[in-house]
Amino acid sequence: MTKKINKLVAIMALSALLLSAGCSAKTGEKTEKNSAVDVPGPKIRIAIQYGLGYAPVQIVQEKKLIEKYLPGAQVEWKQMGGEVIREAMISGNVDIGFMGQGPFFIAWDKGADWKIATALGSSPLGLQTYRKDIKSLQDFKKDDKIATPYSGSIQHILLAMAAEKELGDPKAMDNNMISMQHPDAATALISERAIAAHFTSPPYLYEELSSPNIHQILDGEEAFGGEFGFLVGPATRKFHDNNPAAYAAFVMAINEAVTFINNNPQEAARILAPSFKLPEDKVEKYLTWPGTNYTTTPYGLMGFAEFMKKAGYISKVPADFDQICWENVSANIGKKSGGKSPVEKAQYRNTK
Amino acid sequence: MIEIIKKRAIFIILIIALWETAARSGIFPPLLFPSTAIIGKTFIDGVMRGELINNAGFSIYLIIAGLVLTLLLTIALSTLAMLSRTFDNFLDTAVAVMNPLPGIALLPLAILWFGTGQMSIIFIIVHATLWPMILNTVTGFKTVPPIYREVGENIGLSGSGLVLSIMVPAAFPYLLAGLKIGWSRAWRALIAAEMVFGTAGVNGGLGWYIYKQRYLMDISGVFAALMVIVIIGILIEDLLFGIIERRTIKRWGMSA
Repeated sequence: MTKKINKLVAIMALSALLLSAGCSAKTGEKTEKNSAVDVPGPKIRIAIQYGLGYAPVQIVQEKKLIEKYLPGAQVEWKQMGGEVIREAMISGNVDIGFMGQGPFFIAWDKGADWKIATALGSSPLGLQTYRKDIKSLQDFKKDDKIATPYSGSIQHILLAMAAEKELGDPKAMDNNMISMQHPDAATALISERAIAAHFTSPPYLYEELSSPNIHQILDGEEAFGGEFGFLVGPATRKFHDNNPAAYAAFVMAINEAVTFINNNPQEAARILAPSFKLPEDKVEKYLTWPGTNYTTTPYGLMGFAEFMKKAGYISKVPADFDQICWENVSANIGKKSGGKSPVEKAQYRNTK
Repeated sequence: MIEIIKKRAIFIILIIALWETAARSGIFPPLLFPSTAIIGKTFIDGVMRGELINNAGFSIYLIIAGLVLTLLLTIALSTLAMLSRTFDNFLDTAVAVMNPLPGIALLPLAILWFGTGQMSIIFIIVHATLWPMILNTVTGFKTVPPIYREVGENIGLSGSGLVLSIMVPAAFPYLLAGLKIGWSRAWRALIAAEMVFGTAGVNGGLGWYIYKQRYLMDISGVFAALMVIVIIGILIEDLLFGIIERRTIKRWGMSA
């Protein structure tokens, strides 16, 4: 019994310690802000994942573009997984994070206090298989597994969109779906083991297609009905409201990086090659692959939101773009009187 | 028994009180640190919809399958180690090499060998539980006083008969401790493996449930699944292991 009590005391002491650590972390933040007048510049904490879609953000980092527009800015770069980025932003450890549209909308629906500060563009996504007998979704049998990163990922949502289009039921392929990380799934597909098909994104998409037996049976734009943005970069309200200069510097930096990639893909490839551990010419080929479009304007926002609501991932659809976009992005989309402009239309699916 | 329930109750009430205080203090964002009421509601919803029960059932099935395999392998390998010194040396090295390897790091190999189905997860569970159980069993056997063995040999026992009727009862406290370690390590391995790749659709366990809820930003669902694991853990510890202990090592006077 005394042992048990000792244990209890130890546990309580530990939790008290954890709690007070949480408190001190918070007060620490406050003192930092107060002394911000004396330190050289504001702090910006940016989190990205790994992949070609993040190329503009990596250019911002490598060319120190935020520092260019805001001398003295302290930029902290973090690389982490998608859920961690979201949780880190909600707990106040990251100011701007990058993720797919699906994870963005799920967190927005649950009340995450953020809006899109920039989009990053479109990438060719596709469902690929090594099986000669599989030419469309109808050819999948009960045991033919389709790998996507996780349930609710952009790849899974596109698969559900295609299933609704081709088979009449968005959940028709759900029991074929298996959740696997891209590198594992690409290895499995190329070695023709364990899975029948993989819904993937670059560079895995290109790597797989370079294997002679692998062919694409479904393309992302075809499933969606039009062009759609892959990644978005939300910024927290706290960061946007408290650091307007830093926010503006970030927006300018990402715009310059996007334009730089579009105009100088060769030089961009030279800068990016070391971090991808790929030869420069390969990176350049990937950056300019047909279907790739680096842009800060979002595409397909409402198309995703509406489908995700219908499929039960989120409970509401944004009433207008201002609910999910900061001013610079809303201004890009515009608001045409008496109708919808092409850019506004590009936020919806064209299912006809 | 009532004593145990009392102790558990006090502990659980304390945890809930601490949790609720932390949640209400507003230090943590409620999206990531929900109150006990919300977690309780999610738990009840999950149980009523049958989702948590089904997922827990699937997890328990995988763990039992993994543990039965581990048990059979442990008995076979440890018995061999007792009979042959060469094999004992070999097993010793195998344990030293394999025991520190995290099962989750072997997942790519598991997928290669067993595909993406249940077999891979069972493989990870067997890997996580086999080595500590062998370690405990062999240590248990080695601490059996030689005189017990000699008595066994005197009454004409040899080989596996000697191991089963003399060594196993004499080393039982070690075996039971090994089983308890195996049980908890099996849970950790299962949840970790399922969080890295879970099968979508009908057949998913609690790890998959946790992963899915985390992705859907339903953090209370994550804690509801952890609650299920805690409840199962307490039940197995107090009921199953408690009964085995009372019927064996306590009755034989090996433990107070």
